[in-house]
Parts: sequence; structure tokens; C-alpha cells
Amino acid sequence: MYDKTVRRRRALLALLVVLSLILLTAYFGEASGGSLHSVQRGFLTVVSPIQNGANKALKPVRDLIGWFGDTLHAKGQRDELRKQVDRLRRQLVADESEKHGYHELLALYKLDNQLSVNDYHPVTATVVAKSPNVWYSTVTIDKGESSGVHVNDPVINDEGLVGKVAQVASDGAQVTLITDSSVGVSARIGASGATGIVQPKVGDPNDLLLQYLPANARANSGEYVVTSGTISSSDDSLYPPNIPIGQVTSINEESAYRSVNVHPLADLHNLDVVQVLTAGQGTAPSNVSHLASALPPGQHAESPSGEQLASTGGGG
Amino acid sequence: MSTGFSSAPLARIAVLAVIVVFFQIGVVSEVPVFGVSADLSPLLVAFVGLLCGSTVGAVTGFAVGLLVDLALVQTLGVTSLTLTLVGYWAGRLRELRDPQAALTPLLVGAAAAGGGMVFYSIVQFLLGVDAPVSLDLLRQIVLGVVVDTIVALPMWALVRRSLIGGMPDDPRRRRRRAYTTGGLSPLSRS
Repeated sequence: MYDKTVRRRRALLALLVVLSLILLTAYFGEASGGSLHSVQRGFLTVVSPIQNGANKALKPVRDLIGWFGDTLHAKGQRDELRKQVDRLRRQLVADESEKHGYHELLALYKLDNQLSVNDYHPVTATVVAKSPNVWYSTVTIDKGESSGVHVNDPVINDEGLVGKVAQVASDGAQVTLITDSSVGVSARIGASGATGIVQPKVGDPNDLLLQYLPANARANSGEYVVTSGTISSSDDSLYPPNIPIGQVTSINEESAYRSVNVHPLADLHNLDVVQVLTAGQGTAPSNVSHLASALPPGQHAESPSGEQLASTGGGG
Repeated sequence: MSTGFSSAPLARIAVLAVIVVFFQIGVVSEVPVFGVSADLSPLLVAFVGLLCGSTVGAVTGFAVGLLVDLALVQTLGVTSLTLTLVGYWAGRLRELRDPQAALTPLLVGAAAAGGGMVFYSIVQFLLGVDAPVSLDLLRQIVLGVVVDTIVALPMWALVRRSLIGGMPDDPRRRRRRAYTTGGLSPLSRS
């Protein structure tokens, strides 16, 4: 009797382990359109409304818990923001005079028809779930295909670039954040215009690295890094130009290409409402995106900065 | 030894697992403490194993892992494998040692969280995820264990309260019976 129980227990453990390994191998090996991915998308479709409802119902609890943490940090943030306001006020005065000249130049080169975010048909979505571990920098939102959301659509919030859509269900989608190792964004430093690729900093999932900058590129701490409006491959997301990504924190000069550390502007730990830039069919951004993805492989040859021009017009 | 297979505790465990996983996704993962979020799923599975035995622990671990992977659109099987082993280990601990110390849930919670995270990281490395071992990663794991240990006691109270009465062979009942009968069954004594 005892032996039978032991055998049954061990057999069950072996069965579950083997089942897990089969699932893991099959999932890892199949394409994103495979059957297990479809099951996962189907599950996401079913639970999205539940997650959405639970998210709304539990928001007061979340806000209450978050309130304690926010209060602890509020004083330090206030002092920091006061200093920032003083600095920005001085900067604003200086920039006002430059702005006039900038507009004249813009009109001169007829760049005033460049794409704005509104051309990308932004769809406002609420974050309903978030991965709890450091291996997956993903969130789930409550808008999907039924709202015009597609895979690779850029996702932003009021602070800056958040990420891109990785998987879509009918009423929900999974967004990969810019701190995920699979994401690379063509970007430039706002002041100098030097372009490179923004990727997560290895070993620190909360920080970014702007890589493949030209050796003569200049960058200073505090400068803003924005999207360049270009893509590096046909699989990439076409991020609109000039979306803020982060601020330069330090410069690395040890390798052939320069790289700078960038702290993301968007608070990726506290995402609540985001916008998906869907670039509806027939719009200029959509057409440019299709044009870019239709280029033959040779046209995507890597430049020293690792990016290939598929510009949306003047932004990068 | 009990296998714990009866429908009443399994139904309770299923309901508890769904509630905990959705609470984890909707609330707990949104509230970082020391820069990391608590992960309730290994605690839930370990405590179910500690209360109901290795078989129920392993099955619960597999099911909770599958639910987490499906809900968070992660690689299917990784969390299932991790939590299956966590649940089985906690169940075997009960069956072999039947620990009764007050700090047992705390230690089991810390061990489940730490072991689960390390095993999960190893599987991720084997799958080729680009995140080499660094101090930051170790710091995240250590902080994760600390946070999970902090929430282990309330989680233990919740799991125990939810399952008590439905368990086939409650360790406390078994101990009390052994004490009052001198280790012998009333039938054999008479």
C-alpha cells in the first residue's frame, strides 16, 4: 500500500514535470502564430474583461497602498522639482528667443507638415495587468484589435515613450516596455542630433543605454533623448519622431562607438493610462510604415549607427 | 500519509488560486516595495503543499503556474515547472518532518520564494534570455525574497484559514490525537 502511494506520487510529479517541459519546448519552438500562442491569445481575450473589471474594482486598494509610498517620497520630490522649475524657467527664457528663429527655419524648409502624434490615430488604453518579475517587462492593456490596435504599434504616455505592442487579442493587448531586452528604438540626442539605438542597460532592467553613437558625438548629462523617427529593420515599430524617451545621465567612452546612459522619462513602474499609436489604414504614417517594411533586405543594411532611414519626414 | 485528493479542498484551492493570481496581477505587482513587487504565487503553492501534502502541492503548483503564464502572456511551462517543484518540496517537508514551529511558514515562504526565483532564473538563462548575472539581478532576487518573507505570514494565515476544515488530515488534529492517545489509536488502546 505504502509502495503504491509512493509510486503514484512520484509518477504524478514526473508527469507534471514532463508536461511542463513539453509545454515549454513547444511554446519556445513555435512561431508567434502557433497553436499555444493562439490559446494564450484566446485566454487573454476571455480574461481581459475580467482583468479590466478587477483592475477598476481594486484601484482604490492600489491607490491606498501607493499613497503611503508616495507620501514618503513626496517631500524629496518637491524639493527636487522646485530646483528643476528654477532651472527650466531660466532655460525657457533662453529658448524663447531661439524658438522664433526655429519656426522661421521650419517654414523655410517646409517641414511644418511633419507628422504629429495625432496623425497616428492614438487609442487611449488602461493598463490592466503587469508582469511581477524582472524577466518580463510587459504590461497588458484593455484595448485590442477591436479598437484598431496592431502588433508593433508604438505605445506612449504623457511622459514619453513606453514601448510597443507585442501581442494582440480582440479586447486586450500585451505591451513590451522599452526596458525589455527585445526592444530597440532608434533615437537621437535632442541637442546634438547624434543618433543611435536605445536598448535596456544589461544588468539593470530599469535603465537604458543609447548605443552606436558616432565617435565624435557630443552629449551632456541632462540632455533629452527623443525618437528619431527611423527604423532599424522591417520588423521594427515605426515610432513617430521627437517622442521623449529619457534623459542622459552619463557618457561611456570605453568602446569604439560612444554610448550614453539614459534614464527613462516615463515611470514604467506606475503605468495607468497609455496611448497606442495605431496609424489607421490609409493615413500617412501607415503608408510610410508599409513602405518601410516593403523595402528589400538590402535596403535595410546596417549603417555604423545601426539604423536605416525610413523617415516619416524630417523628424529624425 | 495522505494524498489529499478529495473534491472539497481542491475546489477551495482552485478558488483561492484564481483570486490570488488576479490579486497578484491587479494589485500586488503594481505596488513596488524596495523597488520590487511581492510574488504571491510561490507562497500560495508552498503553503498549500505544507497543508495538504506533496501531491496536492505539485498539482496546485502546475495549475497556478499555467494560470500565471497564460494571464501574463509568458513562455508557457516555465512557471508551471518552477511551482510544481515548489509545491512538491513543501508537501514532502510536511510528510517527512511535519514542522510545527511558529516560524515554519516564514522559513518555508522565504525558501519557496528564493528557490523559485533562482530556479526560474536558471531556466530563463537556459532559454537564452539576454540578462547576464549581475549584482543588480542578485539584488532584485534578494529583495524579492525579503518582500515575500514579509508577506509570508499573512499569506499563510489566509491559506490556512481558507483550507482549514477541508483538509483530510490536519497536522494539528493529528498531533492533538497523538498527544491525547499517547500515540495510539483509541481503538487499539481499548
